[in-house]
Amino acid sequence: MTAEAIRQPGGDVRHSARTELLEDRPVNLDGFVEEWPEVGMVAMDSAFDPQPSVRVENGVIVEMDGVARADFDFIDQFIADKALDVETTEQSMALPADEIARMLIDPRVTRKEVIAVTGGLTPAKLLAVAKNLNIVEIMMGMQKMRARRTPANQAHCTSARDNPVQVACEAAEAAIRGFAEVETTLGVVRYAPLVAMALQIGSQVNPGGPLTQCALEEATELDLGMRGITGYAETISVYGTEPVFVDGDDTPWSKAFLAAAYASRGIKMRFTSGTGSEVQMGNAQGKSMLYLEIRCILIAKGAGVQGLQNGSISCIGVPGAVPAGIRAVAAENLIASAVDLECASGNDQSFSHSAMRRTARLMPQMMPGTDFVCSGYSAVPNYDNMFAGSNLDSDDFDDFNTIQRDLQIDGGLRHVKESDILAVRTRAAKALQAVFRYLDLPPITDAEVDAAVYANGSRELIPRDVLEDLKGAQQVMDRNVTGLDLVKALESTGFTDMAENLLVILRQRVSGDLLQTSAIMTPSLVVLSAVNDANDYAGPGTGYRPSGARWEEMKRLRHVTSASNPELEVE
Amino acid sequence: MTQPNLDPAVDYPLSDNRRDLLFTPTGRSIDDITMEAVMSGEVKATDLRITPDTLRLQAQIAEKDGRKQLGANLHRAAEMTAISDERVLEIYNALRPNASTKAELEVIAEELESQYDASFLAALVREAADVYERRDILATSE
Repeated sequence: MTAEAIRQPGGDVRHSARTELLEDRPVNLDGFVEEWPEVGMVAMDSAFDPQPSVRVENGVIVEMDGVARADFDFIDQFIADKALDVETTEQSMALPADEIARMLIDPRVTRKEVIAVTGGLTPAKLLAVAKNLNIVEIMMGMQKMRARRTPANQAHCTSARDNPVQVACEAAEAAIRGFAEVETTLGVVRYAPLVAMALQIGSQVNPGGPLTQCALEEATELDLGMRGITGYAETISVYGTEPVFVDGDDTPWSKAFLAAAYASRGIKMRFTSGTGSEVQMGNAQGKSMLYLEIRCILIAKGAGVQGLQNGSISCIGVPGAVPAGIRAVAAENLIASAVDLECASGNDQSFSHSAMRRTARLMPQMMPGTDFVCSGYSAVPNYDNMFAGSNLDSDDFDDFNTIQRDLQIDGGLRHVKESDILAVRTRAAKALQAVFRYLDLPPITDAEVDAAVYANGSRELIPRDVLEDLKGAQQVMDRNVTGLDLVKALESTGFTDMAENLLVILRQRVSGDLLQTSAIMTPSLVVLSAVNDANDYAGPGTGYRPSGARWEEMKRLRHVTSASNPELEVE
Repeated sequence: MTQPNLDPAVDYPLSDNRRDLLFTPTGRSIDDITMEAVMSGEVKATDLRITPDTLRLQAQIAEKDGRKQLGANLHRAAEMTAISDERVLEIYNALRPNASTKAELEVIAEELESQYDASFLAALVREAADVYERRDILATSE
């Protein structure tokens, strides 16, 4: 490609009217760059990526991807010793990459048979396999390799003002719309206890409400989890190069210790990683984004954590800027699933100015279905999203539901009529009001409840006394308020059904069922995971397909004309 | 202790199918975690914790379902149930890069073995100490 000086507007070159129109299209506000493999600005096809190899001596991997054991960095060693199946690796590595790629999409090869092979593959080999797959094949692979048979979705419930009343309402609405997990984070970190409580309480308005999470620094997140104020954790970041891992102040061993810590308290947890993070943090060691991400996937596997949130996540602008970047992002989701991890597949950060491009970026996860299509979908307006926006937000609910119906694909959501939404939002806000009063936290007025129920976002709320709230948040920590205290508060203030729901969730900690791969709670309060809902896709006519009551529910939209009376709309 | 032999296809979820096997750290049956018991103060936050036995049951299910690494993590978790929240966070911080000397990590490994009978966790810490030494991310001794 020849370089061309960047043209300044207002020059005297004559442009066609069409060029001017195209110039003004939103897609041209997006950033695109040429590949630059030396710094890692390349999606999945770099001459600097290693060639696959493995050598085993006396039951130990002594060479991997062209590196001798003595020269392993800590990631190589962790993967070689903990992620790879030393018994089968030489046999699996002997299979040609294109043959393994065919196994991934061939419906006659079962998921279990594929996993028996992928368990022995090194990062460079998994990359070689992925390079054989085009985007449709990646989707076909995902359809079979997703761990849980039934797809699901996750929501972001945040507030630009960290307003707990809003977050409680958003959690209740997200729950009734079908999200299986809801996640929050903060603008002002000290607000965390109140907002995490609001998320937990709002989620309990419907039975089998979503599991909740508050994304914070590792130690604080674990603390809230141990108290039972949140229900799972996911922002446990891992990286694909040693210097970036060290910059993040962790190692694969510290993260593995953390993985055991969560499980030891009965708390579901997944790691987080994504293509582009190493480039963004300035040390990709000249490797492709997908190669480095595969190392992250195998760190998660080796640590024995049940799952991974990947799909570039907060770095989506980086793979999004290079050729085949979105194909690489879909490939990283597939590889996580192909090594038998739960995959919460991204689509969770503002990605493009172009609505068409945002939709295209979503399809490789939404069409085949993943464990969590978004991680998460912003259940609030873009300006309220404290994770720096998402690829989808509350403005897109009706579009998303329509796409589900058009293509008969299950993205985990449903249309809900306004009266039902207002009812659950009201109940969530009133429950939070009652719990705050019971725990002697800063009062929530009826006017605040009313404003939050009918609001689209925080701009329509009545501002809270932030200083008083922060004192209250500190008290929650100092008085050691736990999830059980929230149960007692709900029960004592007459929200008995919500108290029961929360107790069911807390009781799950005693059983540990949510620690298995891809676990969620269904509305009938049953745990659904890869163990009791294993993906059984085996070609056309098999596997999960929206049907029965779920398909009937998906047919409903805001406006659907009645067949029996064209003057009416279906309710 | 001999563990019951579980069949993932029949016994999982344990909270539905094998409540007979589920107990709190204080020895109550999971069925005793009722709203009444919570309200009377009989059930406390410490009851809502998983036991090492239950973690080993879940490890058995994970392993039988083909997930060796998840099983190993659940075995490490079983050992960790005995360690206080505070000490867990301290050891986690000690495992961060450049946070501990090799000797300090060895002391932690010995503590894990002798105080908590946590041989899997001790092995994890010793492994880290070796790798950190080779990759030069140990703290320099004061």
